[in-house]
Amino acid sequence: MSKGVHRFALLVACATFFLIIAGANVTSHDAGLATSDWPRSNGTFFPKMVGNLFWEHGHRIVATAVGLLTIALAIYLQVRERRSWVKRLGWIALGGVIAQGLLGGLTVKMNLPLVVSAAHATLAQLFFLITVSLAVFTSRSWVTPDSSVTEDGEGVSIRALCVVALAVILTQLVLGATLRHSATWDQDLPTALLLAHVGGAIVVTLVLGATVATVWLRHRTEKYLTRPALVAVTFLFIQLLLGLAAYITRAASPYDPQPLTPMISVTVAHVACGALVFATTIVLTLRVFRLLRIDRQEYVLAPA
Amino acid sequence: MFSKRARLWLGLIATLSLLSLASSCGGAKTDDNTNTGDKSGKPFVAKGDEGTITGKISYTGAAPEAKKIDTSADAACTAKSPNLTTEDWAIKDGKLANTYVYIKSGTLADGSKIGDWTFETPATPAALDQNGCHYKPHVLGVMVNQPITITNSDPTTHNIHFTPKNNPDWNQSQPNGAASMTHKLAVAEVLIPVKCNQHPWMKSYVGVTKHPFFAVSAEDGSFTIKGVPPGKYTVVAWHEGGANGTEKTMEVTVPAKGSAPADFSFGASALGQPSSLQMLPAIEFPMPMKH
Repeated sequence: MSKGVHRFALLVACATFFLIIAGANVTSHDAGLATSDWPRSNGTFFPKMVGNLFWEHGHRIVATAVGLLTIALAIYLQVRERRSWVKRLGWIALGGVIAQGLLGGLTVKMNLPLVVSAAHATLAQLFFLITVSLAVFTSRSWVTPDSSVTEDGEGVSIRALCVVALAVILTQLVLGATLRHSATWDQDLPTALLLAHVGGAIVVTLVLGATVATVWLRHRTEKYLTRPALVAVTFLFIQLLLGLAAYITRAASPYDPQPLTPMISVTVAHVACGALVFATTIVLTLRVFRLLRIDRQEYVLAPA
Repeated sequence: MFSKRARLWLGLIATLSLLSLASSCGGAKTDDNTNTGDKSGKPFVAKGDEGTITGKISYTGAAPEAKKIDTSADAACTAKSPNLTTEDWAIKDGKLANTYVYIKSGTLADGSKIGDWTFETPATPAALDQNGCHYKPHVLGVMVNQPITITNSDPTTHNIHFTPKNNPDWNQSQPNGAASMTHKLAVAEVLIPVKCNQHPWMKSYVGVTKHPFFAVSAEDGSFTIKGVPPGKYTVVAWHEGGANGTEKTMEVTVPAKGSAPADFSFGASALGQPSSLQMLPAIEFPMPMKH
């Protein structure tokens, strides 16, 4: 385990989070087609960054930086990491970021079809999942955990709860991405998708709430688990408020002359906070799998 | 040599690369929808007894104020149009400009339907200019497959983006000083929003019909549709106001060599502005596209 590798993996995860914010800005500014060109912008890699091209080309620059960082991380892992599965995850991350860049180009060249744009936004979250996981796997607390907790295997499994929470959060992020890409700022949001996203918020609240409550009730003294659990539920609370604010500002935006700062900032914050809920739940899930040991009792049938 | 998972990833990346390459090489510079116009029906030949439909578009009630546009994202726009405002409600002395009026359907005096005829597409292109970081004209009418010449008179790059429902989506960047571009629309559609994603306040609307019987109201609200064969028609006045635009319909009888009046009135009901208590209609009334 190298401290340097962990720090670098953390840097890639943070850069990916910044990239998600840059991508959200592109959608909220309706800047995705500010240039019909790709990979260049208006025929050059260094265009004049004015109007919405600032957001679209800026997103491409940040994405390029994340791509280069991911290449460096994959090589760094290859050199310094001993666990082969972590090395493989580094290469998978590199494949993911390349695929993501190509999807981004594809959606521009095809004039932002909903399926491709939503796939681009979904792969962004999956790539974020990989980078956050790499940061966790390379941490000291993962390699040499301070303690191990044994569960008796009775009652609801925390592992299962965490996996379900991750699945519903990812589904909700995909729904949100599809909703955002299905209508530009000057169009009304489609009702069915909007209701699905609201329903998703309720499901995420129930599942993540139950997960955090279970962790808290069973392992209150294990800060290794309670800390990410509490951070996740705090981000979830902020996210629900941001979601309401995003809906209010977005419902008014079709009547605005252009995308305005309140709508943009609130919706981008909503996307960013969603990614944070996801990231903290990833950390919680991985730590639960690392720390908890299930003690499975064997039952022997008594002879008749 | 490669594991199953590695092969899967390589396959995915290769597929995406090929798709990106294919779409990049697609060459969207030229319009490929020029020969798909509907040529069925008898060619219309003027008999000399054609009349006109003429009228005025009014706006009743207090005129909505134009909203100031923030052009600070592009200094070239601010320099050229320091006081740019919204153009959706161009009202002067109670008269409404930029309303698109057209014959939607109807029966000619000889009993034939207007849709039974084909009309010659003008060879003269319609002009759409990007000037002062807004479109001139704001509303444009063309016939199916009539060329539209697009120019950029601004010292900045624009992208012109047609966002139709029935025609193919079309988006092209046009740098300052670039040659004009030509675009044609092969399918009738009323009306197609045109926008610049570079400067998101820029909006224009293009109406596409199979016949030449359309007009756009002038600053004084007046319009004239010329060369209309005698008959009974459904005439529609369309204005962009409201969540999905607002239509007014009228039955009009055009006499031989005569003029038929068709005055339309729009009011505050077409504004479509949300009040503080009108957040939920987005849930109650599905409106996936705003046209």
